[in-house]
Amino acid sequence: MKSVLTTVIGAADSGSRFPTSSDLESVQGSLQRAAARLEAAEKIAQNYDAIAQRAVDAVYTQYPNGATGRQPRQCATEGKEKCKRDFVHYLRLINYSLVVGGTGPLDELAINGQREVYKALSIDPGTYVAGFTQMRNDGCAPRDLSPQALTEYNAALDYVINSLA
Amino acid sequence: MLDAFSRQAVSADTSGSFIGGAQLNDLKAFIAEGNKRLDAVNAITANASCVVSDSVAGICCENTGLTAPNGGVYTNRKMAACLRDAEIIMRYVSYALLAGDASVLQDRCLNGLRETYAALGVPSGSAARAVAIMKASACAHITNTNNTTGEKRKMPVTEGDCNALSSEAASYFDMVISAIS
Repeated sequence: MKSVLTTVIGAADSGSRFPTSSDLESVQGSLQRAAARLEAAEKIAQNYDAIAQRAVDAVYTQYPNGATGRQPRQCATEGKEKCKRDFVHYLRLINYSLVVGGTGPLDELAINGQREVYKALSIDPGTYVAGFTQMRNDGCAPRDLSPQALTEYNAALDYVINSLA
Repeated sequence: MLDAFSRQAVSADTSGSFIGGAQLNDLKAFIAEGNKRLDAVNAITANASCVVSDSVAGICCENTGLTAPNGGVYTNRKMAACLRDAEIIMRYVSYALLAGDASVLQDRCLNGLRETYAALGVPSGSAARAVAIMKASACAHITNTNNTTGEKRKMPVTEGDCNALSSEAASYFDMVISAIS
């Protein structure tokens, strides 16, 4: 799974050389930045339910008929639950990506094939974008987390939004 | 290939849980000890060729039959192959130590090594002994306690407790030993 450490090791291995001092430098740089990423990951692990709920509310404010656009209002509860389940799923993968320090988990477990799946299920990716945009607007430093951690969190959200756009 | 971070992601994903609490504390400790780890990797890579040639010379001294006709390293060609293999093992151990996870060593080096050595007629006992010598020597370099030859070759690093890293490296060498013997 792609991260700074595995990328460095993979490059050293394809040149069949021992880790050089420049390899160690780039690992060191990644470790220095890791504290902020882990802080963001920790905050997500603690608050994912509230974050996802606010995203769902934002989605249904903007799209009252749900993600498919043809859902009768009576079924809204089931749709909202599924919507929240999906946001929790994405948040879990964002949590992993922040820990790993690369987009590997998001790419491998969500983004590859998501366009095809949503097309097959007649889900408008714009509904997800609405939810993630809400998450991005909700994050506030230093109220919720440190500025550097917020930057890492927003970068992960932007990556997901771009993949859906 | 995994590292200490992606290992946590993979194991959390099997249960669909978030990475928090205890797992994050483990990773924070990994980061806090990061400089030590890089020094440890540097200590064994900087001395790799010395460690490797000592280990192969060591098995030849302990078992003089190895260099005799029909011995495991008889002919320079076999001796050169032996030195090359020892260096490859050393290299993958240094990768595993850098990553904080054995997957790179297991997947890219040890997987199928026993069968390869059996097919090539490599004496597994001597090979395992060479790895054991590398283990002792590499661990001494990590903890900066190497003085076996009388002439100390020490790295000028900040003094600290590297026993955890030394036993981690030892565990990777042990994996190699159990994979080939």
